[in-house]
Amino acid sequence: MSDYIRRLPVYLLLDCSGSMSGEPIEAVKQGIKALLSELKGDPQALETAYLSVITFNSTARQVSPLTELMLFKEPELTAGGATALGGALTVLADCIKNEVRTSTATQKGDWKPLVFLLTDGAPTDNLDDGIDALKQVATSNIIACAAGANANTNTLRKITNNVLMMNNLTAGDLAAFFAWVSGSIKASSKSIDAKPGEAIQLPPPPQGFAIVP
Amino acid sequence: MRSGEIVTAALEGGGTIEFVYDANAPRGGMKHTFFTPDRQYAVQFFNDPSDGMNPNIQDRIRTIVGVYNPTLSEENGGAMGNTEKTAEYFRSRFCWPVAIVSSPEFGIVCPAYPKRFFFGEGASTAGLNLKGKDKKSNWFTGRMRKYISPGELGDFRTMLGAAICLSRSIRRMHQAGLAHSDLSCNNVLIDPQTGSTVVIDIDSLVVPGKYPPEVCGTKGYIAPEVIATMEYDPGDPRRCLPCVSTDLHALPVLIYEYLFLRHPLVGPKVYSTASAEEDDFLGMGPMATFIENPTDKSNRPPDLKVTIQSLSKGLEKLFLRAFVDGLHDPSERPTAMEWESELLKAWDRLRRCENPRCEKKWFILRDENDPVCPFCKTRVTDRIIRLTLKSGVRGKKGIYRDCGEIIAYDQMPLYDWHVYSNVHNDEKASTEMRAYICKHRGMWLLVNNGVEGMTSPTGRLVPKGQAVELRNGAVFRMTDRENGLLCEVSVY
Repeated sequence: MSDYIRRLPVYLLLDCSGSMSGEPIEAVKQGIKALLSELKGDPQALETAYLSVITFNSTARQVSPLTELMLFKEPELTAGGATALGGALTVLADCIKNEVRTSTATQKGDWKPLVFLLTDGAPTDNLDDGIDALKQVATSNIIACAAGANANTNTLRKITNNVLMMNNLTAGDLAAFFAWVSGSIKASSKSIDAKPGEAIQLPPPPQGFAIVP
Repeated sequence: MRSGEIVTAALEGGGTIEFVYDANAPRGGMKHTFFTPDRQYAVQFFNDPSDGMNPNIQDRIRTIVGVYNPTLSEENGGAMGNTEKTAEYFRSRFCWPVAIVSSPEFGIVCPAYPKRFFFGEGASTAGLNLKGKDKKSNWFTGRMRKYISPGELGDFRTMLGAAICLSRSIRRMHQAGLAHSDLSCNNVLIDPQTGSTVVIDIDSLVVPGKYPPEVCGTKGYIAPEVIATMEYDPGDPRRCLPCVSTDLHALPVLIYEYLFLRHPLVGPKVYSTASAEEDDFLGMGPMATFIENPTDKSNRPPDLKVTIQSLSKGLEKLFLRAFVDGLHDPSERPTAMEWESELLKAWDRLRRCENPRCEKKWFILRDENDPVCPFCKTRVTDRIIRLTLKSGVRGKKGIYRDCGEIIAYDQMPLYDWHVYSNVHNDEKASTEMRAYICKHRGMWLLVNNGVEGMTSPTGRLVPKGQAVELRNGAVFRMTDRENGLLCEVSVY
């Protein structure tokens, strides 16, 4: 029976550039742990959400393929190098193309993927190539979070209308961000969303985060 | 405010309550929840402060806490006709709001639900950290069931018990004209071990004559007509809003999930290839198809083994009314009272499976002439004893009509509703065992445990501690007192 359950693909795009080294990257690792533990307490999220992690520094790669939560292994993360955000979007586009099921006459398609992008700097590669690649695949709900003073919200606005700003790159703020991501995944796995084409309803962002208008 | 800080809140009508502030307070669709320091009560506030200030919402909640409250006796300000006994009964089956917070903002106070609805230590076999989490029913009915410890899962009998408990609670609500409006796996917690349920999130009830709540329900449990008309404004007459008849869709979805561990509408049928959203909208809304629809098999999974035909004939009929005739026609849906009554009849037809390794342990004996466990296919080898209960027809001496059946099992308890025609198995009935059936040296006996006036087939009085042998064709009085039932024995 489980075959008929529609999956909710969730992609985490995480900046692992040099500026993330030290406390921030450790906070991201803790954040993923907390995210998994939180989602493992929610039967609807466990049934529907599938998780993948894509990291980017000088290049981008998928470090965890789209996996159901019970089988998900935390990726090894290290920080260093530049900020290939454009590359990350291209990798995301490829992953969505390969991993997300589309509806056919005999197969139920997946829900629209939910993408959380966390970056603390400006892209160092060609962002437009990535944006173009993303346009070629099924639309998705992307939420970008600009972390710290050096993140460029204007470039993020080119990728998505949903941009959040976190003023500091502290462990506490990163933990709050991951808590919010798990809340959003839980909400999406329960929400009605039955009305075609409706925008997804996510919980309000954590304290200290601003929505970039 | 910091997590862990104690806040004192003022209650409407005087008094205060303390709660522990938590920055990561559990957050539902409408409200977030804090707990009192002793965790005996939950204090809930609206996510959107304007909801809390809305006089319509406040007014509705005040009537829910007061005159519609089935967990308070009438003399204590609760629902009309409610006695302390029935109030007590429903206190453990509803998490009904008990007080209203007036400051720092409008909120409600609910009792914490009984401990058995929280997971304890060692509830998962796969390292899921479930300790202290709510027992939402989809832990037990969904794909995650395989990660739950076998000791937590109960068996078919306890799941049928949970279905009875839920249908009774919803019947009580509907009796008062209230609709829950958001019945779902999240708002009905279940303890499969004891076969009990607790209905939570009572504040979004639809109350007669009050402004309706702004919820439309939870995915998977929303009635098809509500989904199909969601595009209209709430004030538009074409829009279907949650009400008693939409509860009567959600209720059998939950019952079906408890009994079959699957969703009645989730099958292989693809309704649209345009998008997942469109497909889901059609499949849960205007085009929803029961996976066991006897004529339209387009949504039927190829591997269905245990079906509604594995239940009693009465339950099969109700499921067909709920998910075939009534799926797109709310007026055809069975009432909660019909569910309660039919589930209780099925309860009296339960039979223990003879296969010691049968995972479900119990099944409903559908056909005395073809007694097979539908789960493990083990055939019954022992005799089947059926008791047909008959009640006298008022004003026509000597005329009786059938009013119930019991399929006996060893150590089966019998209660007042098996003895008197005017007692029903409900919140008002005594739960004291009046008689029991047992197998003794190859003989099936009905032992009197305190029924006054039980008489044997030959008309002899059967005092407490003595028994009637259950032989084929035997007819005897459960009691010769007023409203006493007649019992006819059939042996297969």
